[in-house]
Amino acid sequence: MSDFLSAYSIQNWLESCPQGYLLDTEYGHAPGEREPESLLESKALHEQAVRSTVQLVVGERCALAASSGLINAAPDHPSKRFLATQTLDEARHVEIFTQRLFDLGVKKDELESTIDQLANPHLVAFAEVLLEKVDKGDFIAGVVGQNIVLEGMAFSVFEMMQAANAQMNPKFAHTLSGTIADERRHVGFGENRIGSLIKEFPERKPEVEKMQKDMSYHMLATFSLAFSDQAAAFEEGRKLAAQSGDVAKPSKWHGTDLSVATPDQMESVLADTVLKEFKTRLGRIGLEYQTPSAP
Amino acid sequence: MSVGPVEPHVLATEDFLEEVHSFEFWFQAVEGYLSDRPYGRTPGLESPVLSEGDREALVTTLCNYCVGETMALEGASGMIGFAPNRQQKIFLATQAVDEARHLEVLLHRLQELGVEDAEAEIGRRANRSLLTFRDRLGRLVESKDWEAALFAQNVILECMEFTVFQTHAQTADPVTREVLEGIVKDERRHMGFGENDLGRRLAHAPHMRTRLAEIRKELDPLVLGTFEETLEELDTPRDARPELGRSYLAAVARLGFGS
Repeated sequence: MSDFLSAYSIQNWLESCPQGYLLDTEYGHAPGEREPESLLESKALHEQAVRSTVQLVVGERCALAASSGLINAAPDHPSKRFLATQTLDEARHVEIFTQRLFDLGVKKDELESTIDQLANPHLVAFAEVLLEKVDKGDFIAGVVGQNIVLEGMAFSVFEMMQAANAQMNPKFAHTLSGTIADERRHVGFGENRIGSLIKEFPERKPEVEKMQKDMSYHMLATFSLAFSDQAAAFEEGRKLAAQSGDVAKPSKWHGTDLSVATPDQMESVLADTVLKEFKTRLGRIGLEYQTPSAP
Repeated sequence: MSVGPVEPHVLATEDFLEEVHSFEFWFQAVEGYLSDRPYGRTPGLESPVLSEGDREALVTTLCNYCVGETMALEGASGMIGFAPNRQQKIFLATQAVDEARHLEVLLHRLQELGVEDAEAEIGRRANRSLLTFRDRLGRLVESKDWEAALFAQNVILECMEFTVFQTHAQTADPVTREVLEGIVKDERRHMGFGENDLGRRLAHAPHMRTRLAEIRKELDPLVLGTFEETLEELDTPRDARPELGRSYLAAVARLGFGS
């Protein structure tokens, strides 16, 4: 165990993250990059951008609370140290997505009310399931919930958003690329660290699997609500791109061309991708994926 | 990570706090003394071979530093959940990673000194007063009492560590000195956070001072007891021992929390 955990040291984190892929960035993107004018001027696109960024802030606040809350419950020094780096990664994500809200025109004194008003209630319920385990100091359930389920979801959501924004909004796509690199590390730790603990405490499996099922249900409900009223914004975005002479280049993500996909198709490819990843990762650590009921 | 240098003191209060509690500001602060210094020390820097007695004393001291840093890591991370606002949560996240780094560089130094099972060695050599302090801090954090936990963690504990590390660095071997000097730079930032936040709260609620004084009355003997026990183990002459306690009391007073 100590050999693999040495790869997750503070020293490695310093060299690979702040002194590596974040070097020469400002809030995760290149200095001087801005949100595109077309986004800021279009009511539908602007509302969609604010709403989706609020969900990122809500998710990252949950991740910050969970990773910091798990440090006290961690059974060894190397896990505590890794979770400290994850805590700071999540704090950075809160910072950069909050900054994006400011860049989109949300006033500082309206930040909390904007988040309260636009937070997806299913995402809030998803977070509550995880934070209940963390509050109890349950390290195994907490790490599975945080580093496999939450981070696995975030990883795919960020990847899809990055692919969808690569052409029209390089600033946001660049912001997302650093978070994707972070999430990859977090998921890796979850898989590596928790497998041995599941072997050691097999009696914990049913409870942890139930948590995964509950969290997956709320995740699917989150996706369903998030994509439910996006048709107008999608249409507007494609119309503006055509007017500006920017021909949307095909943007394939897991077999779906995001430049022409309907909201339903995007929800479907996202849900399928995340659930497939869950099955694979849970299998690797000795847990059986539990299918949630349809929201 | 490359944001142009900002002079925080010209900013309005809210913008100042947003700036100095950010990840970006943290990275600019640590970059200067951590880049090209893996595990807090210049590669190739050598230390003279220590006598067995000196090595034993250093191992005991470093083991107790590890207890302190683990306590600080658990304290800082535990406070994130109930910190009053976003900027404070982000600052505490930077502090958590600082404390974790301190723990890592100290464990690395123990390994260089030939300690194979550091966790077991720490358990054997941990100072009783320090362990009592850890329990007390843990209870304050668990009770989610922001002012009390912040005072115990970012004023009392950080002042204790600052004093000890700064004093020790003056006589330490070159490798240990460099490691400790890097840690002291972080401690200054952590103390500043406690001083700034509690200072503003005290300005609005002066009666809070009585409550903090009560906490201090309980924790000071544990800090001084820790010094006494450690100096006893290190065979420090009795007449040289009060100096460390005086330095600690002076550090707390400089932050505006004198008795």
